[in-house]
Parts: sequence; structure tokens; C-alpha cells
Amino acid sequence: MNRPASIFTATRSPLLFAGLMTTDDNSALAAGLRRRDPELLDRLIDQFQHRLYRYLIFLTGDRALAEDLFQETWVRVLERGHQYNRKSKFESWLFAIARNLVIDVSRRKKIRSLEELGNPESDQPYEPPDERCASVLQMMVTRENEQAVQLSLLKIPAYYREVLLLRFHEELGLEEIAAVLATPLSTVKSRLYRGLAALKSALPQGAA
Amino acid sequence: MSEKPHERAQQLFSQSLIEGLSSADQTWLEAHLRECAACAQHAAATRELLRALRNVPLFIPSDLAARTQLRVRLRAQEFAAAANSGAVLWIITAASWLVGVLSAPLVWRGFAWLGTQLSLPKPILELGFVLWWAVPALVALAAVLHQRGASNGIRNSRGDHVRRFE
Repeated sequence: MNRPASIFTATRSPLLFAGLMTTDDNSALAAGLRRRDPELLDRLIDQFQHRLYRYLIFLTGDRALAEDLFQETWVRVLERGHQYNRKSKFESWLFAIARNLVIDVSRRKKIRSLEELGNPESDQPYEPPDERCASVLQMMVTRENEQAVQLSLLKIPAYYREVLLLRFHEELGLEEIAAVLATPLSTVKSRLYRGLAALKSALPQGAA
Repeated sequence: MSEKPHERAQQLFSQSLIEGLSSADQTWLEAHLRECAACAQHAAATRELLRALRNVPLFIPSDLAARTQLRVRLRAQEFAAAANSGAVLWIITAASWLVGVLSAPLVWRGFAWLGTQLSLPKPILELGFVLWWAVPALVALAAVLHQRGASNGIRNSRGDHVRRFE
């Protein structure tokens, strides 16, 4: 499937794009992280800033919180660099760190969109949020033909938004998503099917 | 046509996006989409939905990366400083231990001479010798533990829920 040009494609440097990394690249990356090499971290921040920030925005729906967690995630990468397993993709590890930070925040603060991450398999029907609620996702809307989809994202739970992003935007494999979420593969599949269905049903008639 | 082929087609189409299909299922789905306008439209709409999902624009603050890089560098400097002070402390501790071991015979003779002069019982002399020899090492150990406790305290105050990713 061809991917349309977007702001993201311009930020994916072939030099360090972890999805294309070889084993040697990953070994070098792991060694640099163990050394807490600031130059390496600078490059990683430059390279992964859009993907990480988007992931945090999708999870939190809050620009200020996403910025705080963005910085905190990279500090964690510095502190826990020795824990990076070179056999896994760097971005999977990065997203797992970010996700754990989001969950930490959701435990400290009562934030609706983050609470949804806590018990997503509860089978309780969710209430779509009021469309008048302004949020950063709404602010991100610029193109008329994509507005419906973006608004529909607001209506589905964060744990569906998360897997849809990881699968269809980040193009992570199912096993990689399961590693990020620390959940079984079957749960990931279930959330993807339900999330896709939820997104379709949340769309207004005639959109997309 | 009954509902079941359409349901199957929609299920298989979702599966093709999420998990992929076997060649037999793929062949069946393609044939069905060629024949069924409604299912083909549903598939096209789903593709358009995912295209739109990928194109959600992102307005990242222009200085966020620079601010983060600065913060990470400052934290890296803190780590480096802590590592240096830790190394110095270990060197001092090792030197102290070495001096203690090398000077032990002399100190023992000194305690023996003192015991003779003061007519002290041997257990008291031995206890005094052990304390004389061990106290510097215990002080150094306490300093190391204090330093580790302080650095762990800083980390814990920032939350500590990042699990090892294997």
C-alpha cells in the first residue's frame, strides 16, 4: 500500500530509521545508549520526535501533557539505556517507555482519556465524548476531507486509538505492538478489530 | 445473494489489514470484491479511512526537540558527575583499606605496647585494634551507601515503572 507524503515521511532519516536498522546498527545503538552518549541521544530525539509526540498526543489528547511526557520519556531513555535489548526495535522500546509514563500519570491524575487505558477489556460500552469538547486532536484538523476521521478518533477509546496508530501509522508488527503494550497477541488483535470497527462506526454517514 | 458472503468479505478485508490472509482467502476476497459493488465500496472506504488516519497532521512545537536535548544533556552531565565522584570515593576507600592492611602489624604492636603500659586485658586490646582498623572502612562504606541512597531517591521521586523490555 502506498503511503501518501506527509510530515512524517520527511522526518524519517534513512541513517537511523530503526525499522531499517541492521543487527550491527542495533548493537551500536545499544552500546551508545549504555554509554549515555549525548550525541546519539540528540540524533534519536531529532529522528523520533514526531513519532513519539504523535503517539503521546494520541494517548493523552493533551498537548501540554504530551510535551512533558515527551521530555520525560527521553530522560528515561538516557537513564535506562542499558536496558535496551538490541534484538528489538528501538521505537518499540521507546513507545513502551512512553506508555508506562502515561500510565503513571493516569494513576496520579484522574484524566479521562488516560483512565481508558487502565482496563480496556472490561467490555463496558463507552460513551462518545461530546463533540463540543475542544482538544488538541481537534486543533490538529486542517484538511476538510480528513476532518471527519480525526474527529471520529476523539470518539473512540484511547486503547483503540493507540493500537490503530501503532499498526496503521507506525506500521509495527503485531508482536511488536504486543511488546509495547505488554499484552498477549490475541488482545492486540482483538483491540485492532474492535478499534477499526469503532472508528468506522464513529464516522458520520458518508465520511471516508 | 445471502448476507453471509458479504459478512465474510468484510471480515476477511479487516483481517487482510490486520493479520494478512492466506492465498485462498485472498483469492476469494478479490473475486468477491470484483462482483460485489457494496463490499468493494466498503473496502475502498476502509482504505480511505486508514489513509486519513495516517495523514492526521501533527504540529509539534518547534523548540520541543531542542528543549528536550538540553534537558537530556543536563541529566547526562549529572550522571557523569555522579560516576566521577563515585569513582573517587571508591579509590579513597580502597587506599584506606590498603593502608589499614599494611599498617596492621605496626598498629598491633602499638596496641600491645599500650596494653603492657596500662595493664589492660587482652580482649579489650583486641577490640580496640579491630575498631581502629575497621572504623575508617565503615565510615567509607556509610558514605558510599549514603551516596547510593541519594541517587536512588532522586530516581524514585521521578517514578520508576519502566520495565525491562525483552
